[in-house]
Amino acid sequence: MLEARAVSVAFGAQQILRDVSFEVGEHEFVCLVGPSGCGKTTLLRVLAGLTPVSSGRALFKGDEVRGPQTALAVVFQDYGRALLPWRTVAGNVALALEARGIPSAEFADRINPLLEKLRLAQHAGKFPSQLSGGMQQRLQIARCLAQEPQVLLMDEPFGSLDAITRQELQDEVARLAKDERRTVVFVTHDLEEAIYLGDRVIALAANPGRIAEIVTIDLPRPRTQLATREDPRFLEYRHRLYRHLGH
Amino acid sequence: MGAVLPLSVLFLWEILSRLGVLSEDGFSRPTRFFVAGARALADGTLLQQTAQTFAAAAQALLIAALAGIALGAILGLFRPLERAAQLTIDALRPIPSVALIPLALLLFGFSREMSAAVAAFACFWPILLVTIASVRAIDVRMLEVGRLLGFPFAKIIWKVAIPAALPGILVGIRVAAGIAIVVTVTTEIVTNPRGLGFAMTMAAQSLQADLVWATLLWVGVIGWLVNWGLERLERRWLRYR
Repeated sequence: MLEARAVSVAFGAQQILRDVSFEVGEHEFVCLVGPSGCGKTTLLRVLAGLTPVSSGRALFKGDEVRGPQTALAVVFQDYGRALLPWRTVAGNVALALEARGIPSAEFADRINPLLEKLRLAQHAGKFPSQLSGGMQQRLQIARCLAQEPQVLLMDEPFGSLDAITRQELQDEVARLAKDERRTVVFVTHDLEEAIYLGDRVIALAANPGRIAEIVTIDLPRPRTQLATREDPRFLEYRHRLYRHLGH
Repeated sequence: MGAVLPLSVLFLWEILSRLGVLSEDGFSRPTRFFVAGARALADGTLLQQTAQTFAAAAQALLIAALAGIALGAILGLFRPLERAAQLTIDALRPIPSVALIPLALLLFGFSREMSAAVAAFACFWPILLVTIASVRAIDVRMLEVGRLLGFPFAKIIWKVAIPAALPGILVGIRVAAGIAIVVTVTTEIVTNPRGLGFAMTMAAQSLQADLVWATLLWVGVIGWLVNWGLERLERRWLRYR
């Protein structure tokens, strides 16, 4: 579905990524984890077509990714910068529909179920500044879903949320991915989050960013915050991947 | 509260005038020019002149806003284009708009368009500069969102860049609205036989100091009303903040 083939990125003399290769299968949930500065965000941006490679290629369904395309949606960490503050909750979701050229008569029928799904229905008329951080991030996810992408690229989406909200959203994203059989690439610096969510975890090493290890996570779904995190295999994966985080 | 100062000045003025300290030939007297103003209002001449001035100023502001925002958005998004345009902007901007009156007369004759063209030139620069600065300050993340959602470039400008820069642009428009009135009235005083500026020139030539003062204060009132209206519009459009 999505592939990085010997991707290298350099900004000037600084090598950010070196020779990164991996594939993401259809309906697969892949987490990219690594210490800060390992280029995981840059890698996600390469897959999204936002950052050009220095060498190598990013491929989507076999075609080279040369720029952003609507089949690939990106959820940014900094929801406050990604939402349009002058548009309401419904208006922000509508933006994705406008981009797809959908007639405005259909907007309500498409927006309402999405807001329902992300528990934002009572807030449709509010502006982003009136929402909590978790709600703003759910709104960004709703807008990405309105884009009807084939792949969700998520860049530390819960990095700036409190622990409880973060766990709620982890379960929500896991459910969305499973119910709608989406392909997800999820960047995080939180190892447990990566193991909890991923079908596979790709650990990156820093300076320059490169793949340290790829681990297939063999934990039953649906996963739950208590049982899954206490599963001996969960702890085993954690031990195994922990050393890649520069500890 | 803000009315206290002007009212006390008018009151003092009236007293000094009645005491003979201020000459009536030039300073008239508040009670006199309120009468003159009321008469001009009642017979319709003042409103007709106001409509002429207002139409020319509004036309100028509209043209300057359309051109300034469109060009400003493009230059603000493309650094190389802005650098290429910098010299031209810096060379044209200091030209006093009044210096364009002879040229505008050749092009448009004595008409509303003549005043509007000169005033539009003067209004264009603040709007252009403010738009460039506001668009340049937009968070790149928002523009990336526009690209990721699949908008073509023109739609990104229309749906993302301009609304994001709107708070700054509206300040520029409010500044430009004041300039539009000032320059329009100036063209009318200097040459164009229409509007409030010409009314003042005529009143002065026939030594009607009361009518000159009445018209002058009326211009102030109009400017204040326009600013008040634009501020309300701003609050409405920026209600999300």
